[in-house]
Amino acid sequence: MTSIRVRLLVSLLALLALAAAVMGAVTYGNVLDETEALFDYQLQQMALSLRDQGEIAAEQADNFADAQLDFVVQIWTVDGRSIYQSRPHASLPARALLGLATLNVEGRAWRTYSVATGDRVIQIAQPVEIRQRLAARAAWRSVLPLLLMAPLAAIGIWWLAARNLAPLDRLAGEVRSRDEQSLAPLAVSGLPDEVSPLARALNALLERLRHSLDTQRAFVADAAHELRSPLTALKLQLELLRRAGNDAEREVARNAIGAGIDRATRLVEQLLALARSERGAAPVVMEKVDLAEVARRAVAETVPFATSRGVEFELAAPAPVFVTGDAVSLGLLVRNLADNATRYSPPGSRVEVGVAGAPGGALLRIDDAGPGIPETERQRVFDRFYRRAEGGESGSGLGMAIVRSVAAMHAATVALDRSPAGGLRVDVHFAPDRSLTSA
Amino acid sequence: MRLLIVEDDRMIGESLQRALRLEGYAVDWVRDAAAADGTLASERFDLVLLDLGLPSGAGAGGRVADGLDVLRAARARHDATPVIVLTARDARGDRVAGLDAGADDYLVKPFELDELNARIRAVVRRHAGRAEPLLSASGVTLDPAARRVTRNGIAVALSAREFAVLEALMAKPGAVLSRTQLEDRLYGWGEEIESNAISVYIHQLRRKLGSEFIRNARGVGYFVEP
Repeated sequence: MTSIRVRLLVSLLALLALAAAVMGAVTYGNVLDETEALFDYQLQQMALSLRDQGEIAAEQADNFADAQLDFVVQIWTVDGRSIYQSRPHASLPARALLGLATLNVEGRAWRTYSVATGDRVIQIAQPVEIRQRLAARAAWRSVLPLLLMAPLAAIGIWWLAARNLAPLDRLAGEVRSRDEQSLAPLAVSGLPDEVSPLARALNALLERLRHSLDTQRAFVADAAHELRSPLTALKLQLELLRRAGNDAEREVARNAIGAGIDRATRLVEQLLALARSERGAAPVVMEKVDLAEVARRAVAETVPFATSRGVEFELAAPAPVFVTGDAVSLGLLVRNLADNATRYSPPGSRVEVGVAGAPGGALLRIDDAGPGIPETERQRVFDRFYRRAEGGESGSGLGMAIVRSVAAMHAATVALDRSPAGGLRVDVHFAPDRSLTSA
Repeated sequence: MRLLIVEDDRMIGESLQRALRLEGYAVDWVRDAAAADGTLASERFDLVLLDLGLPSGAGAGGRVADGLDVLRAARARHDATPVIVLTARDARGDRVAGLDAGADDYLVKPFELDELNARIRAVVRRHAGRAEPLLSASGVTLDPAARRVTRNGIAVALSAREFAVLEALMAKPGAVLSRTQLEDRLYGWGEEIESNAISVYIHQLRRKLGSEFIRNARGVGYFVEP
């Protein structure tokens, strides 16, 4: 039973039935009490009047004998001999109890009142069921209007429910008409208070979706745009190879094409790395990772490139530092930072990488002796495809975006500063992790 | 002819410079907006190949932020140097903005080198106020596209530098070009100029095309009869 209308209808009808039952029971009880008092009084008065009267008049005896009359009058002598009985009645109590009494005779309940005079006992009896019948009739009369109202109430409830649920239908229709292109907010005005939270929650979801889609679109557009540069270079390099006049020129052109392909490959790899590290990408398993070991491996992978450029690396990670994270992504983060430091370092200089556990959280620090980044640009270097004018390096422009994205995934912050070594200092600060203790 | 490439991408810049030199152009290359602005303000080029997405460069102070700003600044100086925009921005709005900012043509990356060369020739031709693709004077015809020269219908073989000198002189018959002006069109920055190179090329051209074809305005320079 999932329909609100059906549920409302059934529960309201059930309530109505319960109300009728309670009302009937209460009326029955009240009326029974009243008739009890009334009839008891009547029994008493009849008995007393017969006693005072001394004998039963003939006319009165006819009245008493009327089968329509509920009351049965019996008179006995003191020694128990029956001298009068208004109607022959097999199942009447044969012995009188003085005063009011309820007697059960052969399965039938009687209410009796007996009074004694000098030589006789007078008893007036009345079947209890008379009283019950009266009370039941009264109870039924009080319940009947409620029962007659039930079908009307059902129709009314059905109609009211439909009317009040109409905004929901409208909202559903509006949502149904949407596709991934039309993510404008739903109209909230005019909706009842109970429905507008739903519309507002949907609007918030639509907004997040739109933002996410916009980000994706911008990313794809940027990526396509960025891929044009290496492709342009490759095309030109191929033309140069075609036009090369001698072996030496051909060799130069071939090397250039090799470099061009390497560059395009690296760009695609970096794009994939960024896409994977961004929020909403494939879920990664966060586990206990030794940041010192991650840094050691990443630096080891960067050393050949650094050596080719005359740059030396020094890693200071004396003890394991555990963080909760994804080792592959963290490796990517360190690799990109080490790579950047290498690209911007002058030959003969040194890049220092340090990993330290601290009560405030693990810290990864990279210092280089390159040109550094002026304060005005420190925020912008995290933008995708942002390339600095200086340095003259044709990197992918994605390194720092990847770093930021991986850091965000690990709830870590990245801070850029001037390094004592003269160049750039990058601090990646991990939030303190209560579930782990650094050894 | 002397071209300026404004391109931040090292690989593209290098390859483009080498390819255009093979075509016989003197090619210079700058890598950011500030350098482009400074170079254009102080030197003369026959054509500029301008990338739009540029880093602003040191000391630009936000005055010229990208390629479009370089172009606008040049046009604001009444610099009429032909400009072909080479860019990865292919949205219609970008093309319109580029042309409206004063570009003569617009080529989206990645482009074919042949097409770029044809467009360079077309823009230079239009800029010189000519409609016909061939240059001719006194029985000598020069085809810039085919890089072919004929004298009275007979093909004449010329070296790339000789061709470049002849093309410069025939672009505006009657106009006198000084030795320095000719050197400017032949050599990019950093290329070594032999002191008597122009005299040598003129001598060779006269030998191949007739001694009276290239005239000498004494103390001023050289010209061809219209």
